[in-house]
Amino acid sequence: MKKVVIYTLSTCPWCMRAKKFFREHDIPFEYTDYDKADEKTKQLIRDDCHDHGAEMSFPFVKIDEDVVVGYNPEKYSKLLGL
Amino acid sequence: MDTEKRKEKLRTMFSKVVEPMGYKFSPDEELVDFLLEQEVNIEKEKGHPFCPCQGLTGEREHDMKLVCPCIPFHRAHYDAMKRCWCGLYVHKDVEDPDELMQISIKEFLELNK
Repeated sequence: MKKVVIYTLSTCPWCMRAKKFFREHDIPFEYTDYDKADEKTKQLIRDDCHDHGAEMSFPFVKIDEDVVVGYNPEKYSKLLGL
Repeated sequence: MDTEKRKEKLRTMFSKVVEPMGYKFSPDEELVDFLLEQEVNIEKEKGHPFCPCQGLTGEREHDMKLVCPCIPFHRAHYDAMKRCWCGLYVHKDVEDPDELMQISIKEFLELNK
């Protein structure tokens, strides 16, 4: 099973939809609300976002080594082979 | 000022800014109401109605480009999506906002090389 990690914002409806997608498909995932995180975690997230060439746009979804920035169920499904 | 009043004030203020740029509030009224509420709360906490779907870094130059409506700072990117990142605004000709996908900046720049 691929590892799914999501960076989210507690204020973002698309982040909520992304989490809902993975729950509905019984895909285990970890998530971190960037806006609620401590400074050290925020810096890690910022670095990760910038490593992938993306702005600080959420949801930021990592499926193993692949990254999908934004709510895109089609891409999630393709990467997970659903 | 209570949340509902502030939401209405933001709605009035923002429409005057986005309409001349060819944008309108999303037809998805539930999403609009939710996003405006988030912005009122963010404004209370951080002093400005920042975009509810983009992260702040603490660098003023970066963060001020995320004050709603942030369309002018991301115009070409948002025009390509026919929506802003959080979906609060869509192009005036959009009827079904659910058809509009988020395209990351990285993808957008690669598509437009």
